[in-house]
Amino acid sequence: MSATNPIVDERANKTKTSFLSELDIDPITFSVILNRFSTIAREMTLTLEYTSWTSILALARDFSCAIYDAEPRQVCMEDALPVHTNSLHVILKSMVKAFDGKVYDGDVIVSNDPYSGNTHVGDFVTATPVFYEGKHMFWAVTKGHQLDCGAYEATSVAPSAKDVWQEALQLPPIKFYEKGEPRDDVINMYLANVRYRELLYGDLKAQLGSIWNGKRRMIELVDEYGPEETMRYVEAILDYADRRTSEEIRAIPDGKYFGEGWIDSDGSGNTDLKVCVSLSIKDDQIHADFAGSAPQGSGGTNGTQGVMEASAGIPILCAIDPEIPHNDGCLRHITCEAPEGSIVKAKYPAATAMATLCPAGQEQEVVWKALAQAAPERSSAGYGGFHCIPSISGVDKRGEEEKEWAAMFFNGGSGGGASKNADGWPLIMTSSGMGGLKIISAEMSELLYPIMIDHHEIETDSMGHGKTMGGAGIRIKVRPYDTPMACHNTGDGCSNPPFGLLGGTPGIGGGNFRENLETGQRDFCSAKGYMEIKPGEAWVGVSSGGGGFGDPLEREAASVCDHVRDGIISMETAKDVYGVIMNSDTYELDDQATRELRENKRDSREPLKDIQPTRPNAGTWAQENMKEGEQFLLDPLP
Amino acid sequence: MQYTLGVDIGGTFTDFSLINADGEITLWKEASTPKDPTQAIKKGVQALADLGDEPLSEFLSKLDLFVHGQTIATNTVIQRNGPKTALLCTDGFRDIIHFRDGFKPERYNIQLQPPEDFIPRYLRLPVKERVNYAGEIQIQLDEDSVVKTIETLKRENVESIAVSFLWSIMNSQHEQRVKEILAEKLPDVPVVLSSDVLPMIREWERTTCTILSAYVLPGIAKYMVELQDFLQENGFRHPMLVMQLNGGTSTVAKVIQKSINSLASGPAAAPMAGLYCSKRIDIDNVITVDMGGTSFDVSMVTNGMPSLTRDLKVHGMPVGVAAVDVHSIGAGGGSIAWIDKGGALMVGPQSAGAEPGPACYGQGGKQPTCTDANIVLGYINPDFFLGGRRKIDPELSKSAIENYIAKPLGMSVPEAAYGIFRIINNNMVDAIRVVSVERGIDPRHYSLVSGGGAGNIHAGMLGRTLDMTKVIIPRYSGVFCSFGMIVSDVRHDYMQALATNTDRFDLEAVNGVLKDLEDKAIQEMVEEGYPEGEVVLERFADAKYPAQIHELTIAVPNGAPLRDTDIQKMSEAFHDLHERMFTYSVRESSVDLFHWRVVAHRRVKEPNPFVSKEKSTDINDALKGERSVFFGDINDYRETPIYDGDRIPKGLAVKGPAVVEQATTTIVIFPGQSLESNEFGDFVLNL
Repeated sequence: MSATNPIVDERANKTKTSFLSELDIDPITFSVILNRFSTIAREMTLTLEYTSWTSILALARDFSCAIYDAEPRQVCMEDALPVHTNSLHVILKSMVKAFDGKVYDGDVIVSNDPYSGNTHVGDFVTATPVFYEGKHMFWAVTKGHQLDCGAYEATSVAPSAKDVWQEALQLPPIKFYEKGEPRDDVINMYLANVRYRELLYGDLKAQLGSIWNGKRRMIELVDEYGPEETMRYVEAILDYADRRTSEEIRAIPDGKYFGEGWIDSDGSGNTDLKVCVSLSIKDDQIHADFAGSAPQGSGGTNGTQGVMEASAGIPILCAIDPEIPHNDGCLRHITCEAPEGSIVKAKYPAATAMATLCPAGQEQEVVWKALAQAAPERSSAGYGGFHCIPSISGVDKRGEEEKEWAAMFFNGGSGGGASKNADGWPLIMTSSGMGGLKIISAEMSELLYPIMIDHHEIETDSMGHGKTMGGAGIRIKVRPYDTPMACHNTGDGCSNPPFGLLGGTPGIGGGNFRENLETGQRDFCSAKGYMEIKPGEAWVGVSSGGGGFGDPLEREAASVCDHVRDGIISMETAKDVYGVIMNSDTYELDDQATRELRENKRDSREPLKDIQPTRPNAGTWAQENMKEGEQFLLDPLP
Repeated sequence: MQYTLGVDIGGTFTDFSLINADGEITLWKEASTPKDPTQAIKKGVQALADLGDEPLSEFLSKLDLFVHGQTIATNTVIQRNGPKTALLCTDGFRDIIHFRDGFKPERYNIQLQPPEDFIPRYLRLPVKERVNYAGEIQIQLDEDSVVKTIETLKRENVESIAVSFLWSIMNSQHEQRVKEILAEKLPDVPVVLSSDVLPMIREWERTTCTILSAYVLPGIAKYMVELQDFLQENGFRHPMLVMQLNGGTSTVAKVIQKSINSLASGPAAAPMAGLYCSKRIDIDNVITVDMGGTSFDVSMVTNGMPSLTRDLKVHGMPVGVAAVDVHSIGAGGGSIAWIDKGGALMVGPQSAGAEPGPACYGQGGKQPTCTDANIVLGYINPDFFLGGRRKIDPELSKSAIENYIAKPLGMSVPEAAYGIFRIINNNMVDAIRVVSVERGIDPRHYSLVSGGGAGNIHAGMLGRTLDMTKVIIPRYSGVFCSFGMIVSDVRHDYMQALATNTDRFDLEAVNGVLKDLEDKAIQEMVEEGYPEGEVVLERFADAKYPAQIHELTIAVPNGAPLRDTDIQKMSEAFHDLHERMFTYSVRESSVDLFHWRVVAHRRVKEPNPFVSKEKSTDINDALKGERSVFFGDINDYRETPIYDGDRIPKGLAVKGPAVVEQATTTIVIFPGQSLESNEFGDFVLNL
């Protein structure tokens, strides 16, 4: 019976050249060990999430966990934040180098050093080696974004910091534990140099608990299979991902593809800074060269090696089969470079505090654009900048005791780009975050911090349009309860909005302003910069939706009617962009009129643009929304 | 005590477990009738009456307890065939359900379409009002804006309404007033308030809970009232009880008030069934597993209390209320074995289900399943599948494994079958690990209770891999959940928010809250017909370190009003729990307390325990024969004794390797393990 079954035959043929059988690997043990590593990484993640003390880790989940072998090569990551997990190896390699030959069982090495391969100073890395019978086998590693890192201002992402000494206490690879003993003097020195000492101590414990838990489980795993057999399977797991990635990349046409985009500003008043990439795809290797990008900025808006490696990798990992396990086997197919002293790779001692937000967003954006020329169906429309996510802080006087408070406020984050088969999601917050960050409920926010949220809704017409639509942008209005609130804008992408692909339109870009609630006077502000919000004033952010994908005239007309009925897009947009006519009371589709309008539009319009916009400063949101007498503040300083 | 009856509606069958005064159980199955589920129940009770040669009215009049588990509410949500539902929300916050928690699963899958909003945006209607975190009114309710929503509700023919305002947990005046206005203007449309169903901080969870409540309410109310009327008109003399997702039962009237509790209630009875069997042999820490055709459910009982969670989601939406913590993965008898693109062997989560079923059914299922592997390995007796009621063809199992797995991977058929067995075991072990470790529990200190027909082939291996010492296999393991319903307490949960801290503890206010909740609990239990003396009240609170975000639920001293000395006790309880879960505590810190909870139980009268009458003293009396069974230790088949499970006498051990067969289940005893039947007829597998 089976001989005549084509499905069986096809499968049998396909797996005759099975990767695993070539490697002489038992496919059953392989599956068991592969799953076990994922379970361990997941357990590390849960430990960190449940035990940390700040909302940025416990609620927003701005952290990641991963497992490396001794070399170190990535064996397994929990799919947390792409910008972390695709670059953790860079800092870990520096740790290995720094303590070459002096790594002991029971050590904990930490670092936040951007010039040792970390993403930016806000990200704090803890790593512990896993020894088995005296042999170093693995690393358990976490990276968590700290609420504070000892910058000259109360933010861990200071756009205005001039150099490494202003942006943070720098921690090159350093041991917090040696041979199981805490180095209390060193830990104390660290805590003495950061704000909210108690909270950060809680978060440090959570990051330690996570790696210790990972270590415990890895030892159990090696106990079960023995060190040699375990490593044989680790090798197979990497090879397996390697070969599957290779197969996927070979399916993308070879060539050299170019992408360019612009950063709004560097935090010091310099605008429209170019980021560009030349993406070479050959066989199963992809190389991203960011040469031609603008020189480094004078503030904290600068890239690091870590962020560059992540940014080159993220769009590629999204372009291959999502079922391929993510580890060194995928990452080894992607290399990158940038001239030192450029905005993508700043030269010491330039500040890079903003790196994971900006230029990360723009670096990924240009890789998406280049990839779209090679294989649009595997790429995505633009994700836009990471904006309307201020660091807010102040003094809480509501209780009996006054206390300092601070939060990274993700609730107004930007939407995601559309892909060939899916609309974008809201709150994706660039492909650095890719929806891995959670928002904090309005009620929790108002309980924890002395603020009131007056508005938190979808912004009509904020997304790019297309056959598939970008995720919606958000309008959010936050005012201080009864004490002034410091508000550090740390974003980008307002005046350079997320791009539309294959005829899709860009997102709006968006922006933010301070509003006097009595007079209605508004002060608009660039995506970066500092504003104080006093009682009686509010901060209002309008984030961009993601870019659209494909011809808007091909979007299903009935769904356009639903979007108008729901206030996601306006009646004008439905008509002008989507060519859809409907009854203005019932939102019922006028099929005939729509067909005619769409036909007319198709005949009379210019050819669809593959990518738009293609020039800097294309965002018009601020100009359209500002009234006479209102001012625009570019990168205002504290 | 005469009869107790548990009735559980499943996708394919409606299960009936009837227990008589001697503790003997009668099992009955009717094909479910999804269009009108009461039809199957009416047929089933008639059949049970016929079995005892009694008229229906006499049979029903002898019933002391009728407990019902249903999937109507869950199916309404999944199939989206409920009433047209609208949400009234605070102005400026229409998109709470669209934004969710902002989290996107499958980060790298850019082709994943975002979820559709459960209520479309045009039916999410803003009302001008605002309360702050302290419960103070910042913006008075604008009744004109309510009247405006009513025009829309009428125009759109809305059939059910959810109302969820920000901070209504601290001050519900506005929600209450809106309900009054709606009752006047739209008297026939049910209205559910968030402050009634889930007075808990975090607006997304509370709003989705309110929406789901409003969505399932009309259907559930109609169905349950109709069924109860039928039973009572035909002789049943008590209120019908309904299984709830919190692991307790409730009267129909009460579950209509909190319709959210009728969702996902099916598997919630499993831990109660597990506890019932374990506690009579003095074990009160158990992990219950229930392996069916498509899924494997794990739940946990610690110190005699089932683990509850507030993170349960239905259709991607959090329910928010306390629910029995059932972790479910796609691993069942029907799980399909396949080879991925890279040549790795995988099992599940896809299932062949009942149609076409495993390859051995010969119903067109070509791909091999877990059941097919178990047949090839000799664990399942092809002539005695489901007690011999279903004919299966072992050759089909063999060729499916050969063609799809063994040949492509270059292995023998038994090797491939044993590979499938190992992988599905590994998936189940990982599921148990995730659940226990997430709760800070070390599974080695727990016993496994294995229910469901398919699970007992694997249970011995799961327990061994997890380093456990005992697996309990209940006598009723084939009808685990419908049995669990009979032994579940009547249970209601009450909650109120009040923020305080152990350093500045507001004793008076807390005692006020606890008294209000307990008075309400007693009053409602009495209204349901239970004497006050039979009601047990327990207090809990949600606690955290002041700067911390996630809360832990701790027990609060019961009984008298709290005194100064109790504050220290609660503080210690929190530090201890924190240390156990997360490896550390901060003893010098004060503790924040926020939600106060009261749980009211009314203990159910348990059915009389079954007592085994088997008198034999020779284990060989239960021997049925021998067959070739595959075991991993020798990596080969060996001739293995097969026993009749119904004839294993009390106190005698069956030593592994062996297989024990019953009509509804098969137990595999691996080498080094032994199986005993205890005095209640349950099996205990010593690992």
